Amino acid sequence: MSRKIKTALIDLSGTLHIEDLAIPGAQAALEKLRKHVAESKNLLHQRLRDCGFAIEKDEIFTSLSAARDLITKQQYRPFFILDDKAMEDFEGIPTEDPNAVVLGLAPEKFTEEYMNRAFRLIKEKNAALIAIHKAKYYQKKDGLHVGPGFYAAGLEAVANVEAKVVGKPNKLFFQMALESLGNVDFSSAVMIGDDVDDDVIGAISAGMHGILVKTGKFRSGDERKVQNVAESFVEAVDMIIENKV
Amino acid sequence: MTTGRAVNGFLLDITGVLYNSIYKSDGSAIPKSAEAVDFVREEDVITPAPVVAQYCREHELRPHLFVRDDVLEYFDGIDTTSPNCVVMGEVEEGFSFDRINRAFRVLLNMPKPLLITMGNGKFFQRVDGPCIDVGAFAAALKFSTNCEIVMIGDDLLSDVGGAQACGMRGIQVKTGKWRPDFEKLPVKPDLTADCLYDAVKMIADNGFRL
Repeated sequence: MSRKIKTALIDLSGTLHIEDLAIPGAQAALEKLRKHVAESKNLLHQRLRDCGFAIEKDEIFTSLSAARDLITKQQYRPFFILDDKAMEDFEGIPTEDPNAVVLGLAPEKFTEEYMNRAFRLIKEKNAALIAIHKAKYYQKKDGLHVGPGFYAAGLEAVANVEAKVVGKPNKLFFQMALESLGNVDFSSAVMIGDDVDDDVIGAISAGMHGILVKTGKFRSGDERKVQNVAESFVEAVDMIIENKV
Repeated sequence: MTTGRAVNGFLLDITGVLYNSIYKSDGSAIPKSAEAVDFVREEDVITPAPVVAQYCREHELRPHLFVRDDVLEYFDGIDTTSPNCVVMGEVEEGFSFDRINRAFRVLLNMPKPLLITMGNGKFFQRVDGPCIDVGAFAAALKFSTNCEIVMIGDDLLSDVGGAQACGMRGIQVKTGKWRPDFEKLPVKPDLTADCLYDAVKMIADNGFRL
């Protein structure tokens, strides 16, 4: 039986783990997927190592690397609204006299002070607005929280700017991710994620397959928007192996 | 001799016209704005909060209130359990991202999310610089929850061009968010004055005509 799916892009937060807790059965499912998929490189995270997933750092393709590429290409001097842990990806980038705002997932920095500074840079200094991604919300252990997309939409409405979205659901992000795996055949690639719009429909619009998982930020009703739906990553892997995608 | 049409009322924007907003304080009055307001009777001062409360009563809405403490009294007697809408007032005071997240969760859990905002200002001018206003959060909540928005407020009217589009006269005062390059914009105010007091005095001296 020929394998329809040869490459998998796997969302992390909400699909493989929620904060420091792995989705039950996901570690074993990942190993099962590794054996099945032609390319042995998948995409994972240091935090997942702590959850018991065995992965290498260079297997991770993130929108942070895509953002760094854009910043150096356009010679942006960014004001970063990013988690401190994400900042190591941007070492060496000049930040004096900022002409760009880089907005990512940074809950401690979603404050009045940071947002107004970003607003003033865009409004008064014509700074560009770069969104690492535009997630409307994301899942934490204590419930749903507004994501970077929330703040990007707010800034767009009042600062007369359009955010450049570097990560999902930008088609370029999916292309760059697949290229980094050495596979440019979209028709044999699948994206597995919990965000129906940004992960699954984003991937499908880029020409890949998509599987929506009912974990993380998934909300009842999301499943009506797409064809392939799985209870969790574990069942998604079974769907791939059984050629049901 | 007095010329011009009668002026029977004044609609006043507050921040930047009556007073200057200062971070984590009560702010400070713009010089002589108290004297300007003396021209107006207290009972003729209209603000959005009582209008919103009345809107909730008429439409049998149970609001999750995200408003300043001192307008809560207008909502006395309105059922706020199991909210079916969010009422969002100004964000200058009592604002926190925690409250925003709570408003977001309330909206997301509604089958038909409804957000009522008092005004839709893009930004307000504080002494240290411009700050994002209710309009930013309304757009952000709409993006994240796909809610319907009903705006009740004075922003359409406090914008000079917006007022003129309604057939009113628009007066630009050179306080608050005003900048000299406003003069290059296509909207031409019916009157420009250094501050509220000067504008009101000019009109009063002209027999309340403009």
